[in-house]
Amino acid sequence: MTELRIAAVADIHLGEDLRGHYRKKIEGIERRADVLLVGGDLTRHGTIAEGRVVAEELSGLPIPVVAVLGNHDYHSDHNQEIIDLLRDAGITVLDDEGTVVPVDGVRLGVAGGKGFGGGFAGKCASEFGEPETKAFVRHTKDIAERWRRALKELDADHKIVLSHYSPVKDTLMGEPPEIYPFLGSYMLAEAADAEGADLFIHGHAHAGTEKGVTPGGIRVRNVALPVIKHAYTVYCLNGDDC
Amino acid sequence: METPHYVAARVQRALAEDERTTELGIRVDVRGEQVYLRGQVSCDERRHQIENVAREAAPGLHVHNEISLVEVREPGEEEHL
Ligand SMILES: [Fe+2]
Ligand SMILES: [Fe+2]
Repeated sequence: MTELRIAAVADIHLGEDLRGHYRKKIEGIERRADVLLVGGDLTRHGTIAEGRVVAEELSGLPIPVVAVLGNHDYHSDHNQEIIDLLRDAGITVLDDEGTVVPVDGVRLGVAGGKGFGGGFAGKCASEFGEPETKAFVRHTKDIAERWRRALKELDADHKIVLSHYSPVKDTLMGEPPEIYPFLGSYMLAEAADAEGADLFIHGHAHAGTEKGVTPGGIRVRNVALPVIKHAYTVYCLNGDDC
Repeated sequence: METPHYVAARVQRALAEDERTTELGIRVDVRGEQVYLRGQVSCDERRHQIENVAREAAPGLHVHNEISLVEVREPGEEEHL
């Protein structure tokens, strides 16, 4: 089967001050990768003006681009408008759903969305007590349920989960443990493990580390720009002659 | 003198909530009258804005800007999974 070259990055945090910079770094990406996945925190404040910069920087590439939003992209309550303008620019935006990207006859399935926090098994928040606490935990639970369904429904040769928040602690190493519950949730990993996937891409943890694995054995990669320090990283699925 | 602990908390919140910065990943340590800022950002302008916001949130204290610039490099080697 043909090999898939997956370029991935997150936390590009674009704004007017960085217009044109990121685009320069991804020119020629089609020679290195078949698809680009962008794991949220596309902007700094989630304004429509910043969303337009993101659309300009990521549109018109010769390879398909699939993105999710991050918490920063929600900050100004214009998350839906940002999704719309990215979609108008030809970018596939996943908002708790899946998509199939055909690459040279191979069907690459990508499912996911922003994700959310809550913490990790043994040290996590639970749906108990004040309504605010319950709402926090339920938000993650609902998201995980939608991802599980999206993964199940994907008719693809390979499956990747694309998220902003982390599914595991491994890739948070370097972050203060006190804030782990705000960086991810084990429920995201549980959803992926239940349905199976080849790779789990996330961002958000700027001070974390790149590599980890879910309890079920799915490889996890934190591709936050300050972690990978490159315009993107390329992961090859299937075969060794990338 | 204000307890360093609360100064650090106030500076950190300011960096996250101020529209000029919205930086969540900056580490703030306060030792006596010295404030240390650590972390990584992607351009020099953001680095300076962080320092400005921190100074406003900690008037009278000495702010040390130890934030480094991440240079976004061209893509490197691929990983085969
Ligand atoms: Fe981020
Ligand atoms: Fe984030």
